[in-house]
Amino acid sequence: MKIMAQVAMVMNLDKCIGCHTCSITCKNTWTNREGAEYMYFNNVETKPGIGYPKQWENQEKWKGGWQLKDGDLSLRTGSKLDRILKLFYHPEQPELEDYYHPWTYDYETLIHSERKNHQPVARPRSLITHKRMDIKWGPNWEDDLSNGESARNDYNLQKMAQDITLEFHDIFMKYLPRNCNHCLNPACVAACPSGAIYKREEDGVVLVNQDGCRGWRHCIPACPYKKIYYNWKSNKAEKCTFCYPRLENGLPTICTDTCVGRIRYLGVILYDLDAVKAAASTTDPQQIYSSVLDVIKDPTDPAVIESAKASGISDAWLRSAEISPVYKIIKTWKLALPLHPEYRTLPMVWYIPPLSPIAKKIEDRVYLPDSKEMRIPVAYLAELFSAGNTQIIYQTLQRLLDMRTVMRRKELGEPMPQNMEYEINTYEKMYRLLGIAKYSERIKLPAGLQGVEHDKLRELQGSVGYSCPGGYC
Amino acid sequence: MNEFLYGVLPYVAFTVLIGGTIIRYAQGERGWTTKSSEFLSKDDLKLAGPMFHLGLFMAFGGHIIGILIPKFVTEAAGVNENMYHFIALAGGIPAGVLFTLGFIMLMIRRFSNDKMKVNTSQIDKLLYLILGLTILTGFAGTLSGMFNHFDYREHISPWFRSLLMLSPEISYMEDIPIFFRLHMLLWCLTAILFPFSRLVHCLSFPFEYFCRSNIVYRRK
Repeated sequence: MKIMAQVAMVMNLDKCIGCHTCSITCKNTWTNREGAEYMYFNNVETKPGIGYPKQWENQEKWKGGWQLKDGDLSLRTGSKLDRILKLFYHPEQPELEDYYHPWTYDYETLIHSERKNHQPVARPRSLITHKRMDIKWGPNWEDDLSNGESARNDYNLQKMAQDITLEFHDIFMKYLPRNCNHCLNPACVAACPSGAIYKREEDGVVLVNQDGCRGWRHCIPACPYKKIYYNWKSNKAEKCTFCYPRLENGLPTICTDTCVGRIRYLGVILYDLDAVKAAASTTDPQQIYSSVLDVIKDPTDPAVIESAKASGISDAWLRSAEISPVYKIIKTWKLALPLHPEYRTLPMVWYIPPLSPIAKKIEDRVYLPDSKEMRIPVAYLAELFSAGNTQIIYQTLQRLLDMRTVMRRKELGEPMPQNMEYEINTYEKMYRLLGIAKYSERIKLPAGLQGVEHDKLRELQGSVGYSCPGGYC
Repeated sequence: MNEFLYGVLPYVAFTVLIGGTIIRYAQGERGWTTKSSEFLSKDDLKLAGPMFHLGLFMAFGGHIIGILIPKFVTEAAGVNENMYHFIALAGGIPAGVLFTLGFIMLMIRRFSNDKMKVNTSQIDKLLYLILGLTILTGFAGTLSGMFNHFDYREHISPWFRSLLMLSPEISYMEDIPIFFRLHMLLWCLTAILFPFSRLVHCLSFPFEYFCRSNIVYRRK
């Protein structure tokens, strides 16, 4: 057992209102530069839909993630030799138009127009070529199913072999905010010919070394979530950094900080590095979820603590792991699921599947429906979060429903239901964390620079800032 | 004039090539990249990219054989002049066709596409001019071998090896056909441009990739 620390995120999809504040604050912080116009390290998709970039979930097309070949874990995009041959032309590489052609508008015409009979119009202009262009697609063209038919081309629906109706009385949708998953078994890292992408030992953040990157772009198709982007101007790969300068100072990522629905939870988990490969190699993709839960270790277990200390994890980090909200949600209560576990990258951004809208059967005068009667088809959620295992989705949704039942009865003074999976007060804690938790409860990060105790930080006051305060970095 | 062209310029080129590359690596690794444009325009790269690079590898191999290996070595190996000539043309013409055609296709792609034009810097344009002329004169030299027989292995190869031995024998280079003269000048210019252009990616072929583990962990 070799224990490592990882900063993990949970998103409670029940509370996502699809406002894109996360995307916008992220964009303003990280990608408002030339060459990065089209990049959204964080984006919010409406599901069902083909997403950003188009059809990112179709791994027949992109060959992203890992596969089991004769029981061995290998990159789906091919062996090292196969990929060296793709250096000069890579057939699975996405193009700019797969994301969208970024544009601005000629705002000046509104201000400087001569007097005319008709009101001046700000026409769109390409941010790449600076020529006039027609807008054909955008980073969120399918917002609230607004593109209509493209929702039908959602790859998950093809895998379910089901068509959906776009008739109003049966239609369903949900939001899916996505950023880099900072996977335990990242395919992008394995695919990088230059060794420029790495996973940080201290917090598990996956970063691209901008000096080492040579622009071979093998990480881009290899990431099954399409969360590495190619800067066409600097000709290097870029990705979500998990706002590491903020993490290092005990602050959450900017998307978490600014989330209007307060759907994001951020905290430390401890995992067993030696068990990662075996979990990623689980034969049945529907069992990968439970394998990952086994890789995540109990931060109160003395053996785990001893091993963590042996690998240099500080007391501040161990304390954070003990009070981690994400550990509770993921492992103790089993409320969150990984996005597309079948890609075998073991993502560390987890999702609480949505119940809403729960009132499908309002005409039956049922306040809380059975988990099988949800408006969003369970089979669809299963394609997203459990490699098609509907049982896992039923169980997870049932826990959320149980929590609502307990809280409703408590509110109404009715007798508590019997034979629940957890203790009654567990559901109350669950309710508190999922429903009304404050910023400080949702986000538990070790204060101060990594591994540097709070007292030492005080000594650094007045030093140059987080570039290298006091020489601790 | 010959003294400058064949005794001084090559050393200037070597010095800039090696020194400039080291300085660029140390100072500007952040700008060291393949400068791939597949992201901006993919379909028209499918044939042209691999053709150009395959032609380049073949031409590079041919230069190693033709220039670095002395004539007496190949003759001792039982390859007489006619055989050598045949082999050189049999390899050189396909290489030249791939290299030249690939280059022309890449240039059409680069200068006919709005997105590509935006991504073409001044140093790129200069490089394409010099590199294009180098390729054309080299290919012309190869083709001229079919008609009039100039044995570069009696002239250029020993001169180049004498350069490497740091005692340039300029006498070898008198009465060289014009294509070869131009080719000599142009490769020197290409070498001078090398450290300051996207050409540096030649040195980044990822050999170390075969030797490393899949997942890379690093401390902060």
